[in-house]
Amino acid sequence: MSGKTGLVFFPAFDWAISPTHPEREERLLYTRDTIFEEGVLDLPNIEELAPRLATFHDIARVHFCVPRVQSQVTEAHLIAAGAAMLLGDLIIEGSLRNGFALVRPPGHHAMRVVHGNRGFCNINNEAVLVEYLRRRHGVKRIAIVDSDVHHGDGTQEIFYHDPDVLFISFHQDGRTIYPGTGFTHELGGPLAYARTLNVPLPPGTTDETFLYVVDNLILPVLQDFAPEFIINSAGQDNHYTDPLGSMRFTAQGYAEFTRRLNPHLAVLEGGYAIESALPYVNLAILLALSGHDYSYVREPDYWPGKFKESPERLDQVKRMVDNLLGIWQNRDKADIEKLFGTGKFYQRKKNIYYDTDYIEEEQFEKVRMCPYCPGYIIIESRANRGYGSPNRVFAISVPFQACSCCQAEAADAYEKAKKEGRFDYVYLQDKTTDTYMSYERNKNQEWCSEGPRPEV
Amino acid sequence: MFIGIDVGGTFTDAVLLDRGMVKATAKVVTRQDLLSSLLEALDSILQGVSPDLIERVVFSTTVITNLIAEKKYDPVGLIIIPGPGLSHAHYRFATQTHIINGAIDYRGREIIPLDLKQVEQAVEELEAAGYNKVAVVGKFSSRNNKHEKEIEKYIKLLHPQWQVELGHTVAGQLNFPRRVVSTMLTCATREKYEFFVRSVFQALEQRGLQAEIYILRADGGTMRLKNSTKAPIETIFSGPAASTLGVQALLPPGETAVVVDIGGTTSDLALLLSGQPLLATRGVCIYNQLTHVRALAVKSVPVGGDTTLSRQQNRIVLLPGRQGPPFCLDGPAPTPTDALRVLGLFHKGDYDKARQAMHMLGAELNLSCTETAVRVVDLVVDTIVQEINEMFKSWEQEPSYRVWEVLQKKKVRPTTVVGVGGGAAGLITQIAARMNCQPVLPPYASVANAIGAAVARPTLRVSLRADTQQGVYTIQEEGFQGKIEDGNFNEEKAIALARTWLQRRAENAGLTSSLGEVEIIRREVFNVVRNWVTCGKIFDIGVQTQRGILHYIGGGGR
Repeated sequence: MSGKTGLVFFPAFDWAISPTHPEREERLLYTRDTIFEEGVLDLPNIEELAPRLATFHDIARVHFCVPRVQSQVTEAHLIAAGAAMLLGDLIIEGSLRNGFALVRPPGHHAMRVVHGNRGFCNINNEAVLVEYLRRRHGVKRIAIVDSDVHHGDGTQEIFYHDPDVLFISFHQDGRTIYPGTGFTHELGGPLAYARTLNVPLPPGTTDETFLYVVDNLILPVLQDFAPEFIINSAGQDNHYTDPLGSMRFTAQGYAEFTRRLNPHLAVLEGGYAIESALPYVNLAILLALSGHDYSYVREPDYWPGKFKESPERLDQVKRMVDNLLGIWQNRDKADIEKLFGTGKFYQRKKNIYYDTDYIEEEQFEKVRMCPYCPGYIIIESRANRGYGSPNRVFAISVPFQACSCCQAEAADAYEKAKKEGRFDYVYLQDKTTDTYMSYERNKNQEWCSEGPRPEV
Repeated sequence: MFIGIDVGGTFTDAVLLDRGMVKATAKVVTRQDLLSSLLEALDSILQGVSPDLIERVVFSTTVITNLIAEKKYDPVGLIIIPGPGLSHAHYRFATQTHIINGAIDYRGREIIPLDLKQVEQAVEELEAAGYNKVAVVGKFSSRNNKHEKEIEKYIKLLHPQWQVELGHTVAGQLNFPRRVVSTMLTCATREKYEFFVRSVFQALEQRGLQAEIYILRADGGTMRLKNSTKAPIETIFSGPAASTLGVQALLPPGETAVVVDIGGTTSDLALLLSGQPLLATRGVCIYNQLTHVRALAVKSVPVGGDTTLSRQQNRIVLLPGRQGPPFCLDGPAPTPTDALRVLGLFHKGDYDKARQAMHMLGAELNLSCTETAVRVVDLVVDTIVQEINEMFKSWEQEPSYRVWEVLQKKKVRPTTVVGVGGGAAGLITQIAARMNCQPVLPPYASVANAIGAAVARPTLRVSLRADTQQGVYTIQEEGFQGKIEDGNFNEEKAIALARTWLQRRAENAGLTSSLGEVEIIRREVFNVVRNWVTCGKIFDIGVQTQRGILHYIGGGGR
């Protein structure tokens, strides 16, 4: 087992959402300057690797991109997701101990169906990695801990019905910040109850409270769940200087969190204090991952003791932690029928707003309540772009653990929806066979992705 | 006519070139007294040639490399300003080191003022310990050299005779620990290097040479010898650069080739990609110390003609290092050279002893002498081919920070394998066959290094970084920082400014005539946006004169 920390640094210096958008070329410039000047890439246990591209097939394993993968992703997206996959490979193979995908663009707001860009994200890098690790390496239980100031709603949605992926997100209270979700009652679907845990923190929360949550909730839950692989969705906008968040985390706090969590892989998410936070937080995380002393990393305007936690805030968070820990500990005793109702399908309606692309999406989601597997998922989606007629989409996802019954039912539903003519696009994502189909009504054409060509 | 002289540890090689024709070559033993070896080599190639016909003399040398290897230099005290970041425990350099409080950030802003009290104390302690050479290096000093200059001013006031070297003048690239080492080595070797330069001038003067005198850098460019005292450490490791350029000159232009220099104990590998030698992306490691010295990418493989062979169970293995000459030349143990001798690919030494060596290795394995020899050659060829493939792979895996860079990465494989060095003749054909390439054993391969020195182009580069929000710019190579007065400063003006500086550098170096085309090697523009408003731009511009060689070597006699 190698003791090395792998770093893929991909600042995408030639990619931006728009010239003045926070997600622009300049974002990792000062981080580059800092990690280069510090000479950390010369440290013997840090290895810098060149990124590689994810394939369209890797994306189709997770997302229903409307109309097709090619129309929603740029090369930069493929590189960011590919970087996480590359590090995942090397960590599983044992040639790296852990890794940091310090990449742009981010992805944790991207949901299963992609009509456009949400919260600066098109493609969910963590989700692409998870499905890849399961397909390629047979990894089963995976935990994702999201430390971005914004709720990781995309990641939550993708794994909401998946009992083998534990998703924990702590973030600024959704009543005060985008995307307005991530409350404690969002706990996962009927077949994956309490595999989603949300810790909404009051604005102004400092390192002290943040680390309290880590020690008293996140670490005990992780220990119970015993994942084979831990991913940190490493957003850095909880920093006290971040222009989009109102929290008071410091670089030291982030490093301490990283050390305690000890993730296999950290994947960069948000963080838009590009000068006052990113160079320091990124350096601190890299040092923490590689086991180096990070106590000398300090923001220019920070001094120890600068932020004092209010006792009320800490009490409030302590109560929430106790409550969530109770839910976690009693997850197997919960009365699922009482919580979710009975019937062949569990179903819910959702409205999703794409803040970057101004798309309003209505979703109707159905999960097959299968006694033998986590069940297939049907999504009917209607996206209004504010011009033209809305896109109507029918999508079925068959989880990798699906039973043969669910697989067959899903295939039937796909064929039926194709004939029905109610939908512009019909998709079938069969993770058991790694086959992804899509059908476009207007062209009466079907595409099938059966896997990337083997590398030459 | 051009002269190239490679002052190596064992031999001093020299060539005389006349417009791409090799007119004379010489190989003399390098003696302790450098001057006498130089003169001997010069006299040998200048027979019957008038000294005024010589336009240019270029040296490549291991003088500085050896100084550093043998630690034959004066102690250098260190004053560093690392500020926050990596733990200061990382800055344990092998000399008296003083850490001063103060910090500059990545955009060159002072975030912690310099603590002059600590400087005062550091200088007192250095004086007490008998130092008179000091390297002063600050983190991000290439973005703002204020702190380094303040310390220099203080030292010079108290000790005008001390030699003070500042980090920003030695290396402009980011990487503070490497800048510390580069500055220390510069400070340490300057005096000795100046002595070497004086002896060279003396030798040439004695032979009446009026030519321009240059020295080769590790990156394959040349600089005027008299200007080179500014950057002595850039001349180290110019040996491998010399032989790679030599091969480049001996091949047709534009070829993608591997240069395999097979020596006694090691083989050096270098790459020519579409005719240009590959540069290492980061500075080289000098005796376990990482520096900012730019160099060609050269990989040393611990396999050569004299590598010791041994048998472990039913396998023949290569042991690293050299025990002595080959068995057929009265050495102690079997070597690849013995195998080549048995196969008729090498013609010196005792044939029967070579067979005996193969017998020692192969008898237990029930192999005949010839079979053993074939197996040995296969092993050596395999090892070298594997290293060549690794080198291409690691070149392909260099990190990229832009989308287009990632996308344009292609798999490139060589078409030609070029052998130089003593062991090349017997092995190069088989290495090439294994790689599906053409083998080439160029003429004059034994003096390829001197040819490389003779034809190397003088190169200059300028790296400009301008920050319009702050209204400042820096020229990395000069350690210069200035103000941007123009309110409408833009990309074109940034490039023009970089070109002006290149021109100025060229004039100072006396290089205006042979500069050739100026190419833009880097042009990056970043909008500085604060609160959704573009409030400035950062320009990162690199310009350089053409790299490469002045002449290809045609046929022609001696």
